[in-house]
Parts: sequence; structure tokens; C-alpha cells
Amino acid sequence: MTMGPQPSAMPAPKLPMATPAANFPLRDKYRQESQRIQRDFEAVGSGLASLSSRTRLVDSLCLTLWAQCFASRQTCALIALGGYGRSELFPHSDIDLLFLTGDDAHRDRIKTGVTSLCQTSWDCGLRVSPTTRTLAECGRFDQNNLEFTLSLLDCRFLAGDQTLFERLHGKTLPQLIARESDGLLQQLSEITQIRRQRFAHTIFHLEPNVKDGPGGLRDCHVTQWIGMIVALASGRKPDLISVRQNGAHGEMLAALEFLASSRCYLHYRHGRDDNTIAWAAQEEMAARGIATGSGPVSPSEWMRLYFRHAKAVYRNSSQLLGQISQERSSLYRSFQHWRSRVSNSEFSVVDGRVFFQQAADAREASVVLRLFVFLARHGFSLSPEAERRINDAHQRLAETMPQDQYLWQHLREILTQPRAADALRAMHSLNLLTRAVPEFETIELLVLRDLYHRYTVDEHTFMAIDVLHRLQTDKDAALQPFAELMSELEHPELLFLALLLHDTGKGLEGGEHIHGSLQLTAAAVKRMQLSEDDAATVCFLVANHLEVSSTLRRRDIYDPATIRELAAKVGTPERLKMLTLMTLADIKAVNPEALTPWKAENLWRLYTRTTGYFDRSADSERLDADISSEAIGKIIAMLPERRSGLLKFLDGLPQRYVLSHTPDEVAEHFLMAGQLPTEDVQLSLRAVSGQHELTVVTADRDGLFRTLTGILYAWGMDITKAAAFSNRAGVVVDVFCFKDRFRTLELNPPERERFKRSVREILMREAPLEPLLESRLKADHRPVKLTVETRLRFDDECSQRSTLLEVVTQDRPGLLHTISSALTSEHCSIEVALIDTEGPVAHDVFYITCADKKLSTETMRAIEWALTAELADALPSTW
Amino acid sequence: MTKLETVIQPAKFDAVKDALIEIGVEGMTVTEVRGHGRQKGHTEFYRGREYTVDLLPKVKIEMVLPDQIVDRAIQAITNAARTGKIGDGKIFLARVDEAIRIRNDDRGENAL
Repeated sequence: MTMGPQPSAMPAPKLPMATPAANFPLRDKYRQESQRIQRDFEAVGSGLASLSSRTRLVDSLCLTLWAQCFASRQTCALIALGGYGRSELFPHSDIDLLFLTGDDAHRDRIKTGVTSLCQTSWDCGLRVSPTTRTLAECGRFDQNNLEFTLSLLDCRFLAGDQTLFERLHGKTLPQLIARESDGLLQQLSEITQIRRQRFAHTIFHLEPNVKDGPGGLRDCHVTQWIGMIVALASGRKPDLISVRQNGAHGEMLAALEFLASSRCYLHYRHGRDDNTIAWAAQEEMAARGIATGSGPVSPSEWMRLYFRHAKAVYRNSSQLLGQISQERSSLYRSFQHWRSRVSNSEFSVVDGRVFFQQAADAREASVVLRLFVFLARHGFSLSPEAERRINDAHQRLAETMPQDQYLWQHLREILTQPRAADALRAMHSLNLLTRAVPEFETIELLVLRDLYHRYTVDEHTFMAIDVLHRLQTDKDAALQPFAELMSELEHPELLFLALLLHDTGKGLEGGEHIHGSLQLTAAAVKRMQLSEDDAATVCFLVANHLEVSSTLRRRDIYDPATIRELAAKVGTPERLKMLTLMTLADIKAVNPEALTPWKAENLWRLYTRTTGYFDRSADSERLDADISSEAIGKIIAMLPERRSGLLKFLDGLPQRYVLSHTPDEVAEHFLMAGQLPTEDVQLSLRAVSGQHELTVVTADRDGLFRTLTGILYAWGMDITKAAAFSNRAGVVVDVFCFKDRFRTLELNPPERERFKRSVREILMREAPLEPLLESRLKADHRPVKLTVETRLRFDDECSQRSTLLEVVTQDRPGLLHTISSALTSEHCSIEVALIDTEGPVAHDVFYITCADKKLSTETMRAIEWALTAELADALPSTW
Repeated sequence: MTKLETVIQPAKFDAVKDALIEIGVEGMTVTEVRGHGRQKGHTEFYRGREYTVDLLPKVKIEMVLPDQIVDRAIQAITNAARTGKIGDGKIFLARVDEAIRIRNDDRGENAL
């Protein structure tokens, strides 16, 4: 709210302004002056200077008209409101005028003058938006017209009864604000959130709106209004200039100048109040160097400048709005109080904002990394103080930021936490993400100039990560199957890292971005010292992140050849899951409408058909002795001197075996198989991702799978995944991942050897299995509550020599042993087993034969009957 | 003028669009749809559960063309979309009496 200098009036025309013809001189003068201001803007490029000039021009016009229409009356004050009141009159903005009267009696008396002034203004080309109010009306807060009260905050005296204005400015308005500040701030916060919602709460639109978009001019005004309301409510006199300066720390002023210049240009360019920075406008403003301060730049560089300023405005205004929300809502406060209990020795949480416990910690890269893990886990925002401390220590942080495995330990934790995207945005906002992951710098604020993408590449990346994290809570029915898929991933951190890097190549020169992204990803995973397998997975995902969407767009997904080719490219079911989810996230993060239910369903169909193909083809696609493939080449390269033995070992194993194991693992299995002549059973036991993995290499024999599952059950182990393969020579490679229900192996290291000895002795028939099983059965007396319907399916066509049995049922202790016992009872051999457990659901696929042939109808019925009976019970009843 | 309503395999959309642009078709409306003709549906399994896929994904292209290029458009569509298998799609033709460009009131073929 300002008392602007009394504007100097334009020379008044000699003739009264009663007729349209008489308006010409004033109109012409207005046009000439407007053109001069436009020329000045085009020459100098300063938006704020142009707004100020235009405000002075309109002031002089208003005073001239006031003198004509209200010459002898001083019962009214002419007051500028809104942007005009702030002296920020854009070329095609409305001119908000308030005709303020003392009471209703005066309102009628000024009617003619108001009408005359407004008509004449319109005749001159001014878009006047008038309102007539009494002082008492101005002192009332109309909840349905927040805009009027906000516009009063910017009121500025123009002409007429100055005493009346002083009463409004010095008494009525401060009293109104003091009385209604809570409601005003709350409503201001609400309408701001609604406005931002229209822009998906992100500044990173490729064709942003410089006025209403997040980080735009309206957000600047919001920060000013909050400052003024708070000042008036506390009895202080606000001053627009000081509010700007105090609230801005310089960056807001710079942003205001940039945004004002941009909007000014858009108004002149469009000839109307159009504030969208469209592609063409971006190119023009970049070429003309509008608001750059350094002359012409490239369109991408100009947009980067825009986003930097918008980011500053968005951050400042959001912080102020956040404080309002916290101060006004008791429910919010009590929730935040509850959340503040997560404060720890390094970080404290006050009203949802995180502070450093020790100021010096902001200089330690390790603490700062843990801070972002903390944000990603709990969803808090950084306090302004913490931001300032980090900014102050930026140089040191940049120099000491770890680049190796230590960084990956923290980054993987950030990426897998539910609010990862927000934490990454916070890191990025403080210029720390590009210090930790320099490869990301290529896409910082990068604009993609096409009609499909709506956000900058870095924001698209954060959104893609967020899409996957929000799957579990997304109410969109089309996304529910993908949420389940997400929860099944063994290494979600690798998918998130791939998403973080998948588009980095877009910031490099050249055509296809995938090649660049792959190069940058390879450098990043090497620097962060990911294991060879993990690095290969991340690189695979980045290199193939368009493969699924390309298949969806260009191939018939109901053609078996399409599915076969995709399965061959992807290799393993786990990679298919990751690639499917990556595709979903990549499409959905392009723009809010990009992932239609039609596309989501097609993607899901492609996934289910391909994963089904993996299950159905496991038995039929086997390796030959003369095989040559990239995977085999890698394995042979590890043991080149034993090439022929290795090929003999691989001969007849399903391709799935090679694809689902690393070259290291295959080489280890081969070496174990080489020891079989000296010892019949070769075992390997290791800890993997909080579970244990038992690998058994031995000669095939009747009931082997049943025995192994029985041993694991008897030891109290809960099998989560398993695979059983055999080669042409009859060597079996069975791998079981299991949870140690009673932590036997973890808490008693000597038990590991006893466990392995037990497995070996039982397999070599040196010890019986039954006593162990009986004691376990007695211990597991509690029935399992069945929530998953059991489904059995036989498929006699997917393999030439085996029958596929698919079992989906409630997971329970000893389930695999129950199933394999039922199969053994019917004299069936398990040729291949693919065992998977997700939460309460066990999904097991067996390729089975009976006397080396496919199952007869009678055998299938017998198995179905036996399994239906067994699986209907809570626990196995017979062994 | 003739309205062409074409239902094709999604995988053939890019090829059909390019072929239409090649012969001078300037405007089209594209919709993601589901449906079936004689192709009907089929049954699929996922994790032991049976799914009946009776409506298959298709792309519908609608356009109104001057009569003189209709035959060429039909040829372009069939050449680009045909695989010879069930499910390639259909083209429906209907007479259009009038077309009006909302922006400037152009009428008839001028509005296309």
C-alpha cells in the first residue's frame, strides 16, 4: 500500500469530453505515449521501468478525466487498486479503479461522473474496471470476494478527497486486516493452492504461464500480500518496497524484473493479456535477449533463466504459505507435532520443517546426504535456516561430496524412500544433486521443444520416480496391477537409479539420446562402484527404456512373434517387471494425460503375455552344445581353458537358467558340478539381501526337489523363490532363496555348517528326513488363515516333452514340500521348477513328466484332486 | 465430401498416418478405442487366473475428404494397415452434406 507521488496531469483538452469525437486528442496522446513506452521497452528491455512509465501515463490520463468529470466535487476519492495500485501496470492489464465515497448518499451523486469517466476511458483505449464503494463497505470482509480485499492492499491515491483515502488507508484497512487476518491468510493460501493445482504444482512447464503459473508473478504478489497482512495485523505499517526487499533477499527482486519483462513482452507480442510463454515467444525473447541482461541467448538457455527465477519465487512463496497452513490449522499442528517425534540427534523437526541440530553439520557432506534421506523418508521440507546453512557451505559440500560407493549407499536409500522425488527436488534446488551425480547436469532445467512433453527433463525425471512411489496409494484402477508389480521388485533401487539417469543423454549434442544416456549411466555406475550385476541391470534399463513403448506402438501385442522377440530382448522376468514399470513411469511423467487407461491396459497386457511366455518357454528353450550367445560368451571368457567342459555342463539347461544367473554364478555352478565325482552333493550357502540362498548341485534322482523342500521346511526355512534346472547329463542345479523364520543361521553361526551337513546327509541318504519333519509339524500346529484362493492350471501345449502345472495359492510353511510330495506320489518328475512368492501369494510353475512323457489326463486329474485336498487345509496333513 | 471412419491395429497407425499425409490428407481425428469384429476375443492366463480378452485395442481414425481423393485414401489405408490376418480393421464411408470452419465460416471443401 503506497501513497504514490501526485501524478502530473496531461494537459487537459480544451473541449469537454462529452462526445466520442472530443476524445480523439486524448486518445491519440495516449496511443502515442503508449507507443513510446513500447519503443523504450524494446530498446532497453526493462519490464519494471516500462510498467512504471505506463502507470504514470495512465495516472495522468485519469487525472485529466477526473478533472473533467469530477471538477467541482470532492465527495469522492479516485483510488488505484491491484496491479495499477502497485504501479505495475502491464500493457494490456485491466485498470482497477475504486471510487470511494463516505456514505451511500454520496454514491448516487457521483454516478454520472463515474459513468462519464469510465466511458471516456474506454473511448481512449483504457480497459478500466471500476468499482464504487463506501468506506464502510471497504471495511467489511466479503468471503466471496477475497480479490477485492487483496486489491485494497495495493491501493494508491490518485485524485479527489484525500482525507477519505487517508481514512481508508490509515484506519479502515488496518482495522479490517487486523480483524480478518486469519481468514484472509487462510483464503489466500487456499486460492493459491487451487491456482497451482491447475498447473500440477510444478513450475517446470515447457510453455509456462508467467502470471498464474507456479513461480510466476502471482506468486510474487502472494509473498507481498502475506508480508503486508502480517505487518498490518501486528500493527506495523507495511511498505510495498520494503516488503519486497525484506521478503526477497535480492533473488525475488531479480525474479520480479525478469518475470515483469517477460510478461511485458508477451503483452506487446500478443496485443492482449495473454501470459503464456509459447514456443515461438521463447525463441523471440531469447533472440532479443529479453530480461537476460547479457543479450541474445539460445531458447533453452533463456528458459533455464526463467526456471531459475521461477524456482526462487516458488520456493519463497511456498515457504510463506507453509507457515500459514501450520499456524492456522490445529489439526495440522497436532499432526506435525506427532511427526516431530522423529527428530533425532542430527535433525530436529519443527512444524514439518527440518533443522540441523548442530549448525556445523551443514558443512559435512555425509550429514547433508543423511538429511536428504531423512526428507525422503518422512516427507518434511527443509527449514529456510537449513537451506541457508547449506547454501553458505555449498562450496565445501561441492568439494567434499562423495562420488563412490558411499554416495550410492545414501542415494539408493533416498531413491527407495516414499518421498524420494521431493528429496531429490530439494537436493536439485540447492545445486547438490548435480554435485553428487554430475551426469544429471546435462538435463538441468532442459526444455524439450515438442508438443508431447510438458515439463523440463529434470522435472520429468523426478515425476517419473514419484509415479512409481505413488502407485501403492494411487486410486486409479488401471494402475493397481502395476502397484503389485512394484512391490514384487527385488532391487527397486536399480530401477530408480535407471529412471534418474534415463534421459541424461537428452542434454548432449547429437541425435538419439539413448546412446548418450547409456554413456553417462555407465560412467555414473562405475564411479558409484555398483556391483557388476547391478551396473549391468541399470545400463540395460537405460539402454532399453523405450523398448516396451516402442513394441506397444509399432507391434501387434497379440502376435506371439512380438512376445517372443520382446522376451528375448528382455531376458528375464525380473528385468521385464522393471522395464514395464519404467515404461509406465516414463509415459505418465510426460504430461498428465499421456497415460490413458487404454495405454495402461495395453502395457499390462504386454507384460502379462510376455511374463506368461517366460513361464511357458522355460522348458522348451534349452541350450545346445553348440550355443553361441553374448551371455555364454561372457561365461566362457571367465574360464577359457575349460570351454568344452563348460559347454557340456550348459548343454540341455533351459535358457532361463543362463539369463537368470550371472556369469559368476554359472561359473561357480560349473565348478561345483566338476566336484561331483569326489562328492555327490555340492552345496553353497550365502546371505543375499536379508535372506539366504542355498544352491545344490547334484545328480538328478527321484524325489530330489521334494526332499530338498522338506529339509528346508524341517529347518524352519520359508522359501520365497526357487528354481530347479537340469542339464542333458542329468546334473541338477537347484537354487532356493529362503527366509530364516527363527533366525537360526543368523544367531548361531555354527548352525550354518550343521545345516549344510544335514542337507548333504539327507540327500545322500545317510540320515532320514522324516524325524525332522515330524518335529517341525508338531511345532507348526497353528493353522494359517487362508486368504488366497488356490488355482491350479495344466498346460499341455507349451512344451514338447513336459506338462506345465501352475499353482497359485496361499503361501504357508512347507507349501513347496506339500506340492512336490503330491507330484512324487503320482510318480511325476519335476524337470523345471520356477518358484515365486509375493506377500501371501505363492506362484509356482512346474514342468513335470511321468515316465519321461507328458502327463496323461488321468494323472492330471489325480494331481489336481490331491493338491486341491492338500492345499485346502491350513497345513500339510500327509507327507 | 465423404467421411472415412477407419478402425485399424494400433501398431499400424504410424504407417497409415504417414501414407495418408503422403497423398495429401491434411486433417484427421484419432481415438484410442477397443472393440472386435469377427476376430472376437480369447482367453489368457496370468498367475493362474483366467482373463477373457474380448475387446482388443484398436485405433480409430476419422476424416472428411474431398470425393476425388477418397479412393486414393482407401488404397493408402489398406496398403499400410493390411497384414492379411484377422483383426486388420475396417473402413466405413458416409456422405457428408456440409463442412464449416468455425474460425471463419468457410464452407464445403474449403473448410476441410
